[in-house]
Amino acid sequence: MPTHASPAVRRLSRRSFLAVAGISVAGALAACSGAPTGTKHLRLSSWNIPLDLETYQAIADEFVAAHPGTSVAVEVTTGQFHQWFITRLAADLAPDIIRITPQQIGRYAANGSLVDITGAVPPEYEDDWSEPFWAIGAKPDGLFGVFQHTDNFITYYDRRVMERIGVRVPQTLDEAWHWDEFLEVAREARKVTRGYGFGYGWSGPETAYRWMPVVYQNGGAFLGEDGETPSMDTAEAVGALEFGRRWYAEGLVSPSNMSKSGGGAVARDLFLTGQIGLLLDNPESVAALDEGRPDEWGTAPMIRNTGEASDLGGNALAVTRSSKHPELAAELVAFITSRANIAEFCRRGNWLPARSSLDAADIGYERHEATMQRFIDQASTIPLSMVRAQSGQYFSSLNSVFADYLDLCFLGELSPTECGTRMTEAMRSVTAR
Amino acid sequence: MSPHGETLTAEPVPATAPAPAAATGDAARRWRTRWAPYLFVGPAGLLFLAFSLVPIVIAVALSFQDTATLGEGEWVGADNYRTMLADPLLRTALLNTLVFTLGTVPTAMAVGLALAVALNRPLPGRGALRALFFVPMVAAGVVVGVVMSWIFNPDYGVANNALRAVGLDGLPWLTSPRTAMATLILVVVWTRIGFCMVIYLGALQSIPSELREAAAIDGASGWQRFRRLTVPMLAPTTSILLILNVVFSLQAFDVIYVMTGGGPGFSTTVLIQYVFRSAFADARMGYAAALGLLLVLILLVFTLLRQRATKKAEELL
Repeated sequence: MPTHASPAVRRLSRRSFLAVAGISVAGALAACSGAPTGTKHLRLSSWNIPLDLETYQAIADEFVAAHPGTSVAVEVTTGQFHQWFITRLAADLAPDIIRITPQQIGRYAANGSLVDITGAVPPEYEDDWSEPFWAIGAKPDGLFGVFQHTDNFITYYDRRVMERIGVRVPQTLDEAWHWDEFLEVAREARKVTRGYGFGYGWSGPETAYRWMPVVYQNGGAFLGEDGETPSMDTAEAVGALEFGRRWYAEGLVSPSNMSKSGGGAVARDLFLTGQIGLLLDNPESVAALDEGRPDEWGTAPMIRNTGEASDLGGNALAVTRSSKHPELAAELVAFITSRANIAEFCRRGNWLPARSSLDAADIGYERHEATMQRFIDQASTIPLSMVRAQSGQYFSSLNSVFADYLDLCFLGELSPTECGTRMTEAMRSVTAR
Repeated sequence: MSPHGETLTAEPVPATAPAPAAATGDAARRWRTRWAPYLFVGPAGLLFLAFSLVPIVIAVALSFQDTATLGEGEWVGADNYRTMLADPLLRTALLNTLVFTLGTVPTAMAVGLALAVALNRPLPGRGALRALFFVPMVAAGVVVGVVMSWIFNPDYGVANNALRAVGLDGLPWLTSPRTAMATLILVVVWTRIGFCMVIYLGALQSIPSELREAAAIDGASGWQRFRRLTVPMLAPTTSILLILNVVFSLQAFDVIYVMTGGGPGFSTTVLIQYVFRSAFADARMGYAAALGLLLVLILLVFTLLRQRATKKAEELL
């Protein structure tokens, strides 16, 4: 048996190999080229939450069954959202439909990256959304998204800690702890935990806005009535900053639990490890606490002061300018946000509905129905002016400024008054661009 | 001379024209000689063109525009560069970048060299130790960032638990503006010493052992051999490592992004992070491009200065 091929055979082999490789590459490229087949294909991109991806696909399959000649693929939004979305828009390769937060939608609605879907959404839809929730997608020049599901902050407490303190926990929105009452309970909780009193549910610098409800609870506002004038230097806003500064000055909150310091769910970890007695956080903590400390926790409404407010969480669905079939994509958005489909989506994913007519019983949550109803009730305290501020065109930038100065105030590097003044100046430099 | 007394000469080459086949072969050889280098360099050149040169040219164009998204800018002349001059956050970011670079580069190189010298000797488990020190280099930055955030959490992190176990007070690590940068430097040095160690190991093994033996015979102590022989022989490697490490430090993004987000306050906001923030959080693509070009300029100047210094050092040797 020959051990070496002759040069001729080697040349032949190389050529054969190159030919085969060339044909393969050409074939692969042809397969990827998306040659017209007559089928209208849509892509929907969502956060990488396996259960949600399955639910979107199931709902999309129903849509496809009712719309012959269409197909829908559910994709995952990867990496940092703005980087991902901006680069895809630039390449005209953004998905047809995007799942997007209220804090992200404003910029893209304003700069023409999203499509007005007014014509595809039934007019009666607006009646089933609260004014703040509808305002997330509704802008002066059109409807650029439909808010699908929400979440907000309530108060979680450690049953053992509350029993030791002997305090009665409020059960309804009317009974919610005022700031001073809450701080008093937190001081007692710290004595029991020998760590800290409570934690706040930030999960990284981009979630600094989650503290904004505290400003509104004190009658303040991030932006003025016009939704554009920075107003963090008002007495009410500075009062809120003073309240926040006390959390850290009195050692009631760990310095590791700050908007910019330490990513991840620090507050939740502190609660799970028994180092805090109270936690202001969103529904994502329910599953974690169930797993880590089953039956050892309860819930109360979000704290309040002169006013009520809670965090604006959740997502809208919007159609991007890259879509080759924007009308069909808008129809799919309307379909996913139908009452039945929102109920199904929330039931499977443990989300809160954006539609006002749905309550926990309608949705049929498998667990913690009362807690989920508490979140649904709390959603009514989210102020319209805060929603307008957060879903405005400059908000991503303003949120970075908010994170910077909140950090400096809470650390004691700036007094609340200095912080309010300098934050407002920095905000003005953003809104003046 | 042959045994028969005849002079051996080479067979005369017939002065006839080369056969057509030979001519074709020569032409093919000439063609290969002339064009083969381009074929070899071509793929890399195309990649460089597509993914480095063209983006740099686009970035230069973008830096003279005001644009919130890619591709639709308004020409604003040198406005972005004028804004840079008056930007206080840029000054903070530059200062932080300098501190971070000075903290990470010499430390990582010095520890890497010390490890390389130690692991260049016959030690039990040497291979395993080399691999162990190199592992952090191949770990993804985001993973390192998340794990280190847990380790250095002042409330439930391993670092403070270890300090308290030996009777010391815990440190604020990432939660104080006074310690956050030092903690980041510690983490980044840890990820990078394996790389420095491997490069130095390769260089150490290329130094002829005769030189060390000769120095030892001449009475040079271990330290003198290291200082007067090993270190100068490693100079080219040190030069390359220095440039690479400075580049790594100027581009360090993921670990900082995950561990501190630039905080507390602005205490760990570095230039590359500010570029990212300007581009994607603030939607100021033109300004971010100008900041990115500043970063390129800093790297370019540093590399040229370093090359000149290395050339002078080589001339003196």
